[in-house]
Amino acid sequence: MIDPIAVEAPQVPAQPVPAHVGRSYWRAAFSRLRRNRIGMASGALLLFFVLVALTAPLIAGFITHTNYSSQDLTNTFASPLSPGHLLGTDDLGRDTLTRLLFGAQVSMGIGFLAVFVSLAIGAAVGLVAGYYGGLIDGLLMRFVDVILAIPSIFLFILMSILFKPSTVTLALIIASVGWGSIARLVRGEVLSVRTRDFMVATRALGASDARLIIRHLLPNVLHVLIVFGSLYLGSVILTEAALDFLGLGINPPIPSWGNMLTNSETFFFHSRWLVLWPGVTIFLAVLAANLFGNAVRDAFDPRLR
Amino acid sequence: MPGPLLGVHDLKTQFFTPEGVVKAVDGVSFELNAGETLGIVGESGSGKSVTAMSIMRLISPPGRIVEGRVLYDGRDLAKLSESEMQGIRGESIAMIFQDPMTSLNPVFKVGWQVGEPLMLHRGESKAKAFASAVSVLAKVGIPSPGDRARDYPHHFSGGMRQRAMIAMGLTTTPKVLIADEPTTALDVTIQAQILELLRTVNREFGTATILITHNLGVVAGMCERVMVMYAGKVVESGPTEDVFAHPTHPYTWSLLRSIPRLDAERHEPLKPIEGLPPDLIDLPSGCAFHPRCPFAIEKCSRDVPPLNRVGDSQLAACWVTQSGTELPHA
Amino acid sequence: MLKYLLSRVVATIPVVIGVTVVTFVVMHIAAGSYVPGLDLNPNLKPEDEEAIKRYLGLDRPWPEQYLTWIGGVIHGDFGRSMIDGSLVSRHIGDRLPATLELTVTAILLGVLISIPLGVTGALRRGSKLDHALTAMSVGGFAIPGFWLGLMLILFFSVQLQAWGLPFLPSGGVMTPGTGGGDLLDRIVHLIMPATVLSFVYLSIWSRFTRSSMLEVLAQDYVRTARAKGMSERRVVYLHALRNAVIPLVTLVGLELPSLVAGGLIVEVVFSWPGIGKLLYERAIQTDYSTVLGITTFAALLVVAGNLLADFLYAFLDPRIRYA
Repeated sequence: MIDPIAVEAPQVPAQPVPAHVGRSYWRAAFSRLRRNRIGMASGALLLFFVLVALTAPLIAGFITHTNYSSQDLTNTFASPLSPGHLLGTDDLGRDTLTRLLFGAQVSMGIGFLAVFVSLAIGAAVGLVAGYYGGLIDGLLMRFVDVILAIPSIFLFILMSILFKPSTVTLALIIASVGWGSIARLVRGEVLSVRTRDFMVATRALGASDARLIIRHLLPNVLHVLIVFGSLYLGSVILTEAALDFLGLGINPPIPSWGNMLTNSETFFFHSRWLVLWPGVTIFLAVLAANLFGNAVRDAFDPRLR
Repeated sequence: MPGPLLGVHDLKTQFFTPEGVVKAVDGVSFELNAGETLGIVGESGSGKSVTAMSIMRLISPPGRIVEGRVLYDGRDLAKLSESEMQGIRGESIAMIFQDPMTSLNPVFKVGWQVGEPLMLHRGESKAKAFASAVSVLAKVGIPSPGDRARDYPHHFSGGMRQRAMIAMGLTTTPKVLIADEPTTALDVTIQAQILELLRTVNREFGTATILITHNLGVVAGMCERVMVMYAGKVVESGPTEDVFAHPTHPYTWSLLRSIPRLDAERHEPLKPIEGLPPDLIDLPSGCAFHPRCPFAIEKCSRDVPPLNRVGDSQLAACWVTQSGTELPHA
Repeated sequence: MLKYLLSRVVATIPVVIGVTVVTFVVMHIAAGSYVPGLDLNPNLKPEDEEAIKRYLGLDRPWPEQYLTWIGGVIHGDFGRSMIDGSLVSRHIGDRLPATLELTVTAILLGVLISIPLGVTGALRRGSKLDHALTAMSVGGFAIPGFWLGLMLILFFSVQLQAWGLPFLPSGGVMTPGTGGGDLLDRIVHLIMPATVLSFVYLSIWSRFTRSSMLEVLAQDYVRTARAKGMSERRVVYLHALRNAVIPLVTLVGLELPSLVAGGLIVEVVFSWPGIGKLLYERAIQTDYSTVLGITTFAALLVVAGNLLADFLYAFLDPRIRYA
């Protein structure tokens, strides 16, 4: 499956396969990714959302000239394309477009943070469990089993009433469950890589455990992390939006795509658009993330097609 | 004596891939008489399996039989409809495959699978077919067939699975049995048993057998006649004894010569065939073997030699031997 | 097979223990030695408070309290509400049937629709239909469930009613007053929530069935089946499909956790009186003990569900059944 090579091979002389093979593995994967048109398009869309998230205040300043909490009770439920409000206003006269822009900050920010933290913890646990095996492995994996047995949404709700989350804490809450599956995947990968000749050879040269894990195992399980991370982003965005919708995540006045939909059915007859925009935005962001994730997965393991 | 049981005439099967057209079978003709054993020998890519699959009409896109006739029982199998062909497959012409470990369906009992052709072609009930399967399993040498028939494939060893496969092919007492590399995936000791079984089947049931293999030894032990294929064409055919004793095609000659011999001197180097098998999309001009042939003359690189009679009993597609030159002792 | 099943059962024991430990620990972090209803009584003197706590065993050392907790769990006692002292197990008993009705229907719908979709995609691989099905799957997976539910309600309940057309109810298990006996009424209430719940799983499972089917169709034993001279229909639906569904069963089993609780969002959106909605209601009231009791119960249900999936898998795959 993977060519067992550390991405760089400086101070360890007797590698069984030359280091340049490793570099060409990544290069091959990236070129496959570049050739995938749908993947590249969705990657661009995802990048668009990220950029919007990063520059929301700027865009708001230049295009909509308002911020997300300024109300205008004389102009509630305005339709799209009304003056000054490209996508209309909500029940308190706040500009929908601006709120969507700032909502991107929430969704993208929490999304990427949660994914990153999950990958970090999951990789650490998986590497240690897979490398050492035995009791450590048994304990860690049983713990993962327990975490995965508890329905995640219950856990999220429980933690949000315990901790009253801000953006960062919400990301951490979501990550506190996500690392489990990743740990299992990484551990599995480690188990298959660990017995290969290059590991034994490097060990025979006196490499310490830490060095073996970080310098040699990690690069070989990196592709698992990348693929999982890109596929996981979409579901984090959905989960976060759902929590916001239920009122258990980010609450107004900070807008998020999820909380813009809370109780929106009551506004249905005043403005259909209010129910539409946030949902479509979530859909597009998740779709972009998923399609890009699929493309990444195909790039690293084309056999799975 | 009535005409041949099976007659293949100028069969051409091609695969239309993005890289180009693969001429897997490029004008193959041969005959099989009732009760006869014919061996088809060649390297991987020579077209031997594709020939068999073409006879069975089991070629799927991007492959297609583009030309030729496959005459059986007065009908051209290449022109039959799919449902007509389904009536022939497994009933008159049976085929068994190379890897017994993966050729049986893991979720059905062996007895049921072996008896299925009877359910399909003779309309027998499940129970009756099962009982018939048990008796066929006994005939192929499986101990306690009644019990084993109720087992699943994963309980069977490789050799036993291949016997079960053979049983599956025989339940309808077909006229022709095609065995595609039946022993390649088996241990050497089991190989001998399976070949013995095929010989017995041929003798007792009178089933004409086509044995496809890359192993000359298998052919020597089992087949009355042999057909050598290279790059999608038949290059030599004839009675096995004659072909092995004095091959009339350089490829056969080289193959025989490359077999390591027990009575050779210890320091004598092995004699492989130089070069690589040809790319079937981009075949060499003239005779496909000429780049690797130790006897090639100028004509070989220009014109494709037809399959003609050379000597008393053999056919060979070679300009050199057709012009009367005899090949040295292999 | 017995050995396999026994080993699966034994493997779940540490998980069960782990779950009870985790919930116990969280309970203490959240609520300490809180006693429900205690602060409602203004006349309570500190000594009385101590006495009550001693009576309830709240001053015992933690390990002992844990044993009481797990002892209770084994007997089906999942604690009491912090708000009104009511038994969590009673609430669960009241609400469980509704959740099961919803989730079982959603699983069945998911499986029943995924298999034909997946098989069609596999058989017509690369065709426009296949691409369309794949696109729908990918798209379906990206739609937020709560939004889909919302949109369906807004159209089928609200809009249709506004136009004077027959419409679907926007929530609940049944029309109040019918007592639950009217099958048609219940079905009408069930349609939308079950559809939304099965939607995401449909997307995943149909693609999975497709790739499983493609894998199976490439196997040697399928070639053998064709060589036996059977119709292509028989090859696909008898010989191939039987093998292709085995991994699907595993996948469905793995999804059981999300169905027990993934129904939460659907239950809230459609006011479906199930366990998920119960948890949500109680969470809003910061009734930690009920939330934890329900969570423990749900986790145990998940463990049981996984075990069931293992059993089912062993039953379907003769390689395990008759090992």
